[in-house]
Amino acid sequence: MLKRLILPLFGFALLAPPALAVEEDKADLVLEKAVDDVIRPGYRSFADTTTSLETALSTLCTTPSEPNAQAAKAAFDAALKSWGMVEIIRSGPALEDNRFERVLYYPDRKGIALKQIQQILSKKDASAEKVETLHQKSVGVQGLGALEYVLYGTGSETLLAEPHGHRCLYGQAIAANLKAIAGELSAAWEKPGGIGDQWKHPGPDNPVFRDDREAVTELLGIMVHGVEMVREQRIEAFYPEGNPKAALLRRAGKTWDMLGANLTGLSIFWKKAHMETLLKEDQRSVASSIGFVMKSMIRVTGTVTPDIEKAVSDKDEKAKLDFLLLNSKDLISRLSEDYGKALGLGAGFSFSDGD
Amino acid sequence: MRAVTPLFDRRAFLRASGLAFAATLAPRALSAMERADALYASAYRDQSGRYGIATLSERGEIIDRALLPDRAHGLAYSPATDRIAAFARRPGTYMLVLDRKGLAEPVLIHALEGHHFYGHGCFSPDGRTLFACENNFDAGQGVIGLYDATDNFRRRGEFPSHGIGPHDLSISDDATMLVVANGGIETHPDFGRTKLNLDHMQPSLVLISAEDGSLIERHDLPASLSKLSTRHVDVDGEGRIWFAGQYEGPRNDLPPLAGSFRRGEDIRFLALPEEITQKLSLYVGAIAVNRSQGLIGLVSPKGGTAVTVRARDGKVLAVTSLADAAGIAPSPGPSGFALSSYEGRFGEKNCDLSWDQHMAALSPVHL
Repeated sequence: MLKRLILPLFGFALLAPPALAVEEDKADLVLEKAVDDVIRPGYRSFADTTTSLETALSTLCTTPSEPNAQAAKAAFDAALKSWGMVEIIRSGPALEDNRFERVLYYPDRKGIALKQIQQILSKKDASAEKVETLHQKSVGVQGLGALEYVLYGTGSETLLAEPHGHRCLYGQAIAANLKAIAGELSAAWEKPGGIGDQWKHPGPDNPVFRDDREAVTELLGIMVHGVEMVREQRIEAFYPEGNPKAALLRRAGKTWDMLGANLTGLSIFWKKAHMETLLKEDQRSVASSIGFVMKSMIRVTGTVTPDIEKAVSDKDEKAKLDFLLLNSKDLISRLSEDYGKALGLGAGFSFSDGD
Repeated sequence: MRAVTPLFDRRAFLRASGLAFAATLAPRALSAMERADALYASAYRDQSGRYGIATLSERGEIIDRALLPDRAHGLAYSPATDRIAAFARRPGTYMLVLDRKGLAEPVLIHALEGHHFYGHGCFSPDGRTLFACENNFDAGQGVIGLYDATDNFRRRGEFPSHGIGPHDLSISDDATMLVVANGGIETHPDFGRTKLNLDHMQPSLVLISAEDGSLIERHDLPASLSKLSTRHVDVDGEGRIWFAGQYEGPRNDLPPLAGSFRRGEDIRFLALPEEITQKLSLYVGAIAVNRSQGLIGLVSPKGGTAVTVRARDGKVLAVTSLADAAGIAPSPGPSGFALSSYEGRFGEKNCDLSWDQHMAALSPVHL
């Protein structure tokens, strides 16, 4: 009786969730390209650069010299940039076993990780010299942030003092740890029948995506959350308020290199996965606007001074930071509102990011 | 003819609405309120991207609205004092309390330094205390903040939530016991809304003393359901606690998504048919109890589905498809529940506001 009463009286009983406003074969192609042309190559590159990084640190530890120190710094630069490109993919194996935080722990708001790193160095903690035991330590002392301190922080000149010094061996263990994590990430995405294949073939029995709508929502999530990370966690960490010393990789002068890598990673994801092809022809202006804003942000990011104190005080530099904040907000809106709605993802993607 | 339950008649409703409040309304809104069998409140976002809170009739007629400093999530209503509290969405740092009688200015409450709100809270039955789910992120602890409604919502202390990530809470009718849904997921404002421990979640449902915060009982989910984040709770007329969860495990699993228990009992999961679990997309965004009709309502924005279940035996009575289904609250009408959507649907009306995830029935008694 109750059922007969209830069912007809739900005035919107037929307002079923809209299907994704995208042709199925187009969505499948975008998913395939996202995996094969962006994610897998991205993690392979990170595995390559961390392998080179470990080699460079090993060489420096065996034969300390200024050229070898420069080579180690160059390898560090390449590794962090390759991580910056895939760091935006907050999904799948990167979220397991604290890999994200192990690779780059940021922000270190209370300086706890910094104190732990300094303790390791001052006490010459031998357990930090082996990747097996380093892995057991706090995530904040295992990754790129810790290696930045080893290479650029107070006392980094001691890297040249003696072969196989503690500081260098700690750096070498960090590099080996990064190489191991990169290998795990790449292997997980390459594994036949693993997450890469699951991403490419949504379906009722798929443990990741039941349908194209869920998969495309994830792709858009990567874009939106990637821009949010750049804006809210990395720029707003020190501007317009906050401590310039809290800027990511400030000691190495790599703040903007890293943010540039994040934005470039997003741009590559957008382009190489052909995400604009999910739009209908008459909606393509949405895509061109998104592409234009990303390109502008990448260009400006490359011109900001690495001197963060100057960046937050100099009039011209501040104008660049304001530009980045303004355009990142605009980009989030264009992605979550304009693009998301055009794909039939409802009242705004980020709005439906539930809780 | 409108259906009106004996528990909720128009005279009581108008008394509850308050003459002072009614006097402030435009004629059209006043007319809508006078014709309404039930009133609701929901947070929203307008087309300009501004956030606010609105009251509306069960037919979706907007009666009043006010802007909020930022996006809100859950709402709490006190029939005793006719106040509505809107809680900032995680990891937001404000609560706003509105006096519907218009006798007091809105009270904006900022989170304690090192804390943020999770988005839900509740009033004590006498309306004198407001409880809020909070994250003491510096200490890495979930807490329940206590705010004195008789003293301009001064924060007078906190209780431990006895679990990770307290998201929602309710209070027993006799005001002795708080019911907390600890979602089991670690978050930190430095990392935005990122879930930090998906591979070692610890969801739990706990009963704690509303007097001193001591633990009365704690229900951890079995290991096989450690990825079921217990997010939302409501209490039925028999004191049975109903909860709903969001599953973070493999998409092709079919875990139970809701359940219930009484104090001193083990959890009983709600055995929904497989096709309904699939329709809910492993994600129940809100749960509501209709006490007078003995119904439980579940809603899934991801699945675009609302499900009505009979509390007595768990029988599914209705399944409704609604794109971007958002809020659910008890209704005196025969359907048992009012529903809203991100797309601006409320009842039979569409509007240009995006309704947020939760709504509250502004009723002088439990519907």
